[in-house]
Amino acid sequence: MALEYIVIIFLIISIIISFGIGANDETMAPLYGSRILNMKQILILAAIFAIAGAFLLGEGVSKSVGDKILLLDYEAAGINQNAVVMTILISTAIVLILSSAFGLPISSTHATIGGIMGIGILLGGENGVNWGTILEMSMWWLASPVIGFTVTYAVVKVLNKHKLKTLKGFQDFQRSENKYSYIILIIICITAFSRAGNDCSNAVGIVVGVGDEINLTLLLLMTGFGLAAGVMVLGRIVIKSLGKMTELRPSTAFAVQLPTAAVMLIGTIQKIPLSGSHLLVASLVGLSKASNTPMKKGLWKIIAIWLLTFPIAAILSIILYFPINLLI
Amino acid sequence: MKLLKDKKNELDEINKEFLAETLSGSASLHEALSTFVNDKLKKESLDAVIKVEKKCDALKDKYVQVLYRDKRALPFLIEDRYNILMMIDTVNDKMEFFSRFLGVYPFKFYNEIKGEFTDLYGACSKAIEELVDCSILIETDFDGAYKKTFEIEERKREARTAKFNLLGKLYKMKDDPTKVYLTSKLVTYMYDIISWVEETSDYLRGLIIKYPSK
Repeated sequence: MALEYIVIIFLIISIIISFGIGANDETMAPLYGSRILNMKQILILAAIFAIAGAFLLGEGVSKSVGDKILLLDYEAAGINQNAVVMTILISTAIVLILSSAFGLPISSTHATIGGIMGIGILLGGENGVNWGTILEMSMWWLASPVIGFTVTYAVVKVLNKHKLKTLKGFQDFQRSENKYSYIILIIICITAFSRAGNDCSNAVGIVVGVGDEINLTLLLLMTGFGLAAGVMVLGRIVIKSLGKMTELRPSTAFAVQLPTAAVMLIGTIQKIPLSGSHLLVASLVGLSKASNTPMKKGLWKIIAIWLLTFPIAAILSIILYFPINLLI
Repeated sequence: MKLLKDKKNELDEINKEFLAETLSGSASLHEALSTFVNDKLKKESLDAVIKVEKKCDALKDKYVQVLYRDKRALPFLIEDRYNILMMIDTVNDKMEFFSRFLGVYPFKFYNEIKGEFTDLYGACSKAIEELVDCSILIETDFDGAYKKTFEIEERKREARTAKFNLLGKLYKMKDDPTKVYLTSKLVTYMYDIISWVEETSDYLRGLIIKYPSK
């Protein structure tokens, strides 16, 4: 297929992927749960930061999908690398969009790696995948929820002690919660901004690798709009389902969001692939346990989909590879 | 931000007026009952209770309209304050219902049970006063409001004792069954008011316990 057609197809796919990532973006869930803003305001804010983050922070895009995990010798085995990359990305997008439609927050990294594993096993057998890297990553995937739970539990306990000592009536609470509203709003906006910058690399990395004459600024802007469209169209389902998982107030939303943001930042600096979704859900469970507030239904469904993300994405990529390979 | 502050002030003002009206309704009912047990029922006081209930309904509607204006989901404190307002409004409804019933009660009240009945409505008026105090205190002083809820519980105990002493005497009376029946209804409706006041204070206590621990 001619290069320009492949670029156009990849452009469309990267926008679909950004749509899927935006649809599964749960960053704003604490704002909804603590009712600092209503859904309309949240979606507008999320869309603005998605576009701004992708446009302003997405420039350092160099991410190539599956570098460390796939052990395929494309030339020797006569494998079409474009078809492999496209398969992985399409399967990721489908998994993300479907899980968003059901209000289930999943990790886009898990969906991607599930797809990579499927393709790796299909084309290279058990030697097609770097199992050492997968094992190393799995350790962090298991650790992320534990860290989220523990840190939030501790922060909530400390906050509660402080509240008991200092807050004497509704008006004190209102003043205190108002302050937390501003703090959490700022934290979440920064998180949404930086996350959009990171997420767009998942979507545009593929296109950047294909052609040099692509206008990166325009590409980033398009991806930003893709993320924004995902949030606006389907994002509300995931935001609602996570935001309503347990009783949230601005102060408790802060207790949930602060460790999530801090641990994610450390993870990014240390190049550890932590999942924001897993951290946030585990933090919500930590909050529920620390404040004796019951969890709403749906937690087990989320855990189940976490476990199923890998096999679903792997099977999907295996199924999709054949028609894509024929087309490209 | 200014709009939010204006909205909050507007809600506070409505709430203050609502509580003041509730107290005035309770005072009017107390006045009506004091005259009733002395066989000189002051109908104007009963009308005043009915008017207060109407005014409180209008204030409640205004409160809801202010909340509904921006169609925003109720933030947690507003939701709890709204629930308190609704529960106190039910106290007004019960006072109004009682007033209407008293207005059509066709008999002279029994002298034999006057003392118990006075205790009953005295406890009721006091409990309403304490409930209004409690809902004001909860804004600034959880400890004070918490103590008030126990005082309200004590008023309910006093009312319960008065009620059963009264009914014990009433059921032994060999008089017109209609009068005995309607008098027992009068007592029951009065007790319903204080019973609801106590339920509201239990709700307030629940909030006082819930807030600092969550």
